Amino acid sequence: MSTFNRRKFLGTAAAAAGSAAILSATGNSAFAQDRRIRHFWWGNPERDKRTFEVIRLFNEKNPGIVVAGETLGSADYFTRLTTQIAGRNMADAIQMGYGVMFEYINRGAILPLDEHIGKSLDISQIDESALSAGRVDGKLYALSIGANSHVSLYNTRLFDAASITFDPFGWTYDDLKRVAGEVTKATGVFGTDDNTADYQNFSDYVHQRGERLFDDEGNFGASAETIADYFAIWADLRAAGATPPGQVSAGLVGAELSNWGIVTGQTAISYAWSNQMVGVQNLMQDKVGAAMFPNTPEMIPGSIIQPSQFICLSRDTVDAEATTTYMSAFVNDPEMTAVLGLERGIPANAQVRAALQPKLTEIEATSVAFFDGIQGKTMDLAPPPPSGAQEIEAMFERVAVAVLLEQAPIPDVANQIRREAEGIRRRAR
Amino acid sequence: MSIRSKLRRSWPGYVFLTPWLIGFFLLSIFPILASLYLAFTDYDAVNAPVWVGLENFQYMFEFDYRFWQSLKVTFLFVVLSVPAKLIFALIVAMLLDKGIRAVGWYRALFYLPSILGGSIAVAILWRQLFNADGVINSALAVFGIQGPYWLSDPNYSLYTLVVLAIWQFGSPMLIFLAGLRAIPQDLYEAAEIDAATPSRKFFAITVPMLAPVIFFNLVLQMIEAFKSFSGAFIISGGTGAPLDSLLFFTVYLFNEAFSYFRMGYASALGWVLLIIIAAFTAIAFWTSKYWVHYENERG
Repeated sequence: MSTFNRRKFLGTAAAAAGSAAILSATGNSAFAQDRRIRHFWWGNPERDKRTFEVIRLFNEKNPGIVVAGETLGSADYFTRLTTQIAGRNMADAIQMGYGVMFEYINRGAILPLDEHIGKSLDISQIDESALSAGRVDGKLYALSIGANSHVSLYNTRLFDAASITFDPFGWTYDDLKRVAGEVTKATGVFGTDDNTADYQNFSDYVHQRGERLFDDEGNFGASAETIADYFAIWADLRAAGATPPGQVSAGLVGAELSNWGIVTGQTAISYAWSNQMVGVQNLMQDKVGAAMFPNTPEMIPGSIIQPSQFICLSRDTVDAEATTTYMSAFVNDPEMTAVLGLERGIPANAQVRAALQPKLTEIEATSVAFFDGIQGKTMDLAPPPPSGAQEIEAMFERVAVAVLLEQAPIPDVANQIRREAEGIRRRAR
Repeated sequence: MSIRSKLRRSWPGYVFLTPWLIGFFLLSIFPILASLYLAFTDYDAVNAPVWVGLENFQYMFEFDYRFWQSLKVTFLFVVLSVPAKLIFALIVAMLLDKGIRAVGWYRALFYLPSILGGSIAVAILWRQLFNADGVINSALAVFGIQGPYWLSDPNYSLYTLVVLAIWQFGSPMLIFLAGLRAIPQDLYEAAEIDAATPSRKFFAITVPMLAPVIFFNLVLQMIEAFKSFSGAFIISGGTGAPLDSLLFFTVYLFNEAFSYFRMGYASALGWVLLIIIAAFTAIAFWTSKYWVHYENERG
């Protein structure tokens, strides 16, 4: 047989195992000085590039702390995070979104930051509104890494072609019907995406009607009448031919940005979060314009300015001090924040905002101008949503499809949404 | 031979099995037992599980209409996809058995979808094919047919997944092919002398001789279909949309566990699925004694 006999094989294997053991032993001691922490976020290629660059800068500036970055797409992010929670090995710093974050805080997966303030964590330059958004029961749990609001994105070429005039910061659903109709007539492109099954738009409308999504006890606050009226607005637009057919819109509920009407050219208006503007513009030739979500003639504010994303200290952190040092730099350090730019939203640190101003691209400037325009026209941030709010959102988008497909009368669907929302809340308690 | 001397002789075997055994206990037995325990708890993955007895099962059967919906969808999928897939696989296997040239190439070619079939990429491709303005509807439009909204119409969405399942006919086809090759040719020769028609040959020789293989494929594919996940998950955007028409049992289980922090409830769902699959497999085995005959059986 070959010269590599059994004895040699065992000898080699033993030697390899031995050296591996030695390597790992020395490996540990050689880096024992370094404090190693992990940062986990959901992202996209652009965000990942910027965040890894920020990590490199931080590691360079802070000898002794080594941050490692981990990233996934947003759909997989929370699956992985939940698995890591169960395995008690979450990263030290984790990214959270407004809404879903409170489910994690309520369950104890996120640690409060108060004991680190003024030591490893500097919040002196952060807007109070951003801080209050990250507080629960008086404790600070989260640092905003970008503010956000609802925005109607419109195709300026199509709007110009139809000679549209409207007030982007004070238009109504009647204006929407007029504008969408004119665009459809002048260009042949559907005027607007159909938001029947869009919970974000719905939540604006509930507040515009003077109701609340959740009352102080956490009960679902939208009346069946308001739900039905909301569906009726869109049914009216659909019947007028200003939106794509209901069956098409049913296939686009929760769709990726690249499938939105404004991006594919199927419609002239799509509805988004303001930090998605850059992403939408990057996929389009025509210039994108920004307006608030439409309102009722009473103009009761329904949109909110809220942090789009937060950075949080996880329950499983191995070194809270090193992690909060990193988190602090993430929102304050001039070089690091310059790299991050507006990609996650408008920064909550006034000095950072001022430093970014001269370097903005056209679409970034549009988003900053949009933010200036909506000041004073938004409502105060509601108390953190109760447990089950995420599930209610998913339920709404699932059940509302029946309206798009005309499988059930609007009042029935409205009642079903109320009934199911109450059931979800009962179960979440 | 005593157990002791048996062990003395077989210990090297167990030593070589050790890596597998460790994996089996750590990655299979332990999680299975853990989920059995969790099925009787309220567990949100963050805090320690709380024992709730039969509450999960009670809620499931009494209040959870989405549980029943997911059962309905899954059963419909099994009933539609398994026979269709087996029939299709058998047809292709019989064509390949006819002694076509370069049969090896065809076998590889036909097996390809099965390798790709479970993958995410194919599910995404499927979504493109069946889109409102996708390939299928464009092809139909050539003949003046206005295709339906396959994916956003709850009346059609499940059929796209049934077609996807049929398309993955490769592995039952290969097993059928091997089974067909094992049927003694003299049976057909004898039938030919008696002037039997092709359909008579098929039902009197092929099917009975192939029965053990059909049975094997049936059980395997049925289990596979009950567990089917990735296609429905991708095509419905992870939610079972539209209107829960693609809410496969596994998709529902996944959402309960990872979207809504109900690990205990999801574990209970998992055990219900296990029991359902076990019951149907048992039924299949019980019926098999009436229609499956093995050659080496006496009687």
